[in-house]
Amino acid sequence: MAFWEIVFFWAGLLIYSLACGGFIYSFVFNNPRVMPKMTLLVALGFLAVTSAIVARFYATGHLPWSGHYEYTLMGGWFIIGGTLFVGWQNKTLQGLAVGTLPLVVIMMGYGYMQDPGLTPMAASLKTVWLYIHVYFAWLSFGGYSLAMAAGVVFLLRSKSDALPVPNPAYDRFPSTGRLNELIFRYVVFGFITDTIMICAGAIWAKDLWGSYWAWDPVETWSLICWLVYGLTIHLRVTFGWRDKRLAWLAVVALSTVIISFFGVNLVVNSSLHAFQVR
Amino acid sequence: MPRSPFSGGLSGGLLFGFAQRDPPLAPLAQAGYYPKAVFVKMFKKIVKALSSLKFTIVLISLLGATFIVGLWVPQARLVKDIYLQWHRNSPRLVEALDAFGLTTIYSSPLTLTLWGLFFLNLALVLWQRVPVVRHRIAISDAKITDPERTPGYPFQACFPLPEGLGAETLLARLRKRRYRVLGNGTGFYGVQNRLAPVAFVLFHVSFYLVLLGGMITVYTEFIGYVDLAQGENFQGELARYNVKPALQLPAIGSPPRVSFTVSSIEPQVVMNTPTSIAVKLLDGQGESHEVGINRPYKTGPTSFVFKHLGMAPHFVLKDPAGKELDNALVKLDVLRRAPDKFDMGGYNFTATFYPDYVLEKGKNATRSMEFNNPTFFIVAERDGKKVGEALVPKNATFEFAGNRLEMPELRYWVRFYVISQRGLPILYLGFAVACLAVIWRMIFYKREVLGAVREREGVPTLVVACRSEYYKNLAEDEFNKLFTKITAA
Repeated sequence: MAFWEIVFFWAGLLIYSLACGGFIYSFVFNNPRVMPKMTLLVALGFLAVTSAIVARFYATGHLPWSGHYEYTLMGGWFIIGGTLFVGWQNKTLQGLAVGTLPLVVIMMGYGYMQDPGLTPMAASLKTVWLYIHVYFAWLSFGGYSLAMAAGVVFLLRSKSDALPVPNPAYDRFPSTGRLNELIFRYVVFGFITDTIMICAGAIWAKDLWGSYWAWDPVETWSLICWLVYGLTIHLRVTFGWRDKRLAWLAVVALSTVIISFFGVNLVVNSSLHAFQVR
Repeated sequence: MPRSPFSGGLSGGLLFGFAQRDPPLAPLAQAGYYPKAVFVKMFKKIVKALSSLKFTIVLISLLGATFIVGLWVPQARLVKDIYLQWHRNSPRLVEALDAFGLTTIYSSPLTLTLWGLFFLNLALVLWQRVPVVRHRIAISDAKITDPERTPGYPFQACFPLPEGLGAETLLARLRKRRYRVLGNGTGFYGVQNRLAPVAFVLFHVSFYLVLLGGMITVYTEFIGYVDLAQGENFQGELARYNVKPALQLPAIGSPPRVSFTVSSIEPQVVMNTPTSIAVKLLDGQGESHEVGINRPYKTGPTSFVFKHLGMAPHFVLKDPAGKELDNALVKLDVLRRAPDKFDMGGYNFTATFYPDYVLEKGKNATRSMEFNNPTFFIVAERDGKKVGEALVPKNATFEFAGNRLEMPELRYWVRFYVISQRGLPILYLGFAVACLAVIWRMIFYKREVLGAVREREGVPTLVVACRSEYYKNLAEDEFNKLFTKITAA
């Protein structure tokens, strides 16, 4: 890792962790006043992580798109960027960070424990398709993560609303009806970008490996993930799955995304997505 | 929603060309028609089951489960080494799984049946939905109804109009926001993204394009591997393809016809990472092509994809009198940090390669995978007995048992994965249609507005009732914003 990358990476991770604690505090201790301050803290952490990415880019000459550490660094950036963007568009959605922040903190910690060393860009990654494929992959991960966060908040809020004295922390969030539609909206966003990601990946694979589809473990999981979210959309649109069922679906379905991004390479060493030249 | 042609008492009307209610079975049986009626009823039931959306959900779930099984059970064609090792360790288990097709699950009869049912289900669902889509995109004056009384429009609101804002201006503003508007101030109907349901059909049709492209690809597919060293010419001769992995000839069509010479191979490794490889080819017309990772040589439907790099030393074996015994360009697969063997002049040689040779604590080693000091360590044997060994850098000579093995030249060789497929344009068209259709259907969804300008307490007021696909609460914000804007002075 480059010197300034280390400084900004740790600063970002520390700030995210503090903000994560702050959000959890505001929910557990019914103190919604803390929330806007935590959003500012998240924005500060985002700036730090952006600086870490810039420092790494300066040191290696390419964007951090490959390897577990770079996956998590860039992925965390997209997820928090998406969270801040929707919070900036609609203030009542700032608290979605309560779902996305813990995910990003764990992801970044996991990534750091892998190999964060500076490496030149492998020949297999020198193509414009990398940027298209990985960019849409992260957009879809961001969209699905936001759906999961909206699902978590929906479930918490529904539980709180059923109490005689609801937790005032949830007053800052949209109504459950709106949250439910937001889950669907984020799933749709994730599904569109996921579709583009898979198509772009297939076209790239044809040039790199000679075959557009090879049932590689990561490819197969991406297809499973796409089918699961396709199923979610069908269940919502055709079968009218809403409320708690949809929220649980958004939370559980994210596991397929996490498995495709990180899980497959942990248990299978035959994936071409290790980005080695074979 | 209109009735499905496959559901209810009139089911089969559109399909079979009769539109009468099904007669009871008993009189038919007496009249001798029982078997046919039963057959028709059963057929309709099967069609109804196969075309249901519940069946779609079941099929998608089963396909997903099958893919997961494929990840857990080592697949014979995909991870051959792991599969063979597993077969050696647990032959009975593997044979049992083989019998059920679980070790070739992606092409097993079970999976192919599921895919078959999936596409059948898709076709039937499309068949049912096309009339619904046509109904949904239809537009006529009959859509203009009373906004205060028409059910199914959850967002209802009144917006007082400022003085001087006429109904025509209002409708023009609505049209400017991509609404197709019918009617006038006394009653109008507006629709945005009216054709969005067509995207549903397109998205599902794209699956058939992918299927068609995939099937053409499978039946016209030629796969082979060929190892070519710098300076070698290749005319597409089948005999020159590697024996292992075996050549796959196309079921339809012929093997690729090509002609080129490998004019140069230049690999580049930085910090142990292969950062580029440039393989220059000169084709039969004298045109030069550069092949690299992500840049295959494409000629017609055939691609030559770079797969592997090896060392190709030029060895000359001479006897003690200096007479040439053998002379060959030997392709050695030594870049995986394992030795390779070759035979010359009745001797067996084992070669270990060090791209950046260094003697480390008395042992041969390589500083990196960069080609800074390419050196071979060669052991010569005859009849299983070692007769000599030596370090052989480029241009050096290895002397053993009175003979000399000279290496005047050190070249590279590349392994090309040669694949020829003819369905790719259709497949890519399917991808493009799928991407565009999913964006169209999910982002540009339909919004409908019913409206009328009416007097409310002496003030001209716009009364509207609106609805949107997918969203209710979020659409409220959108409609509020829209009508606040278009009713502004």
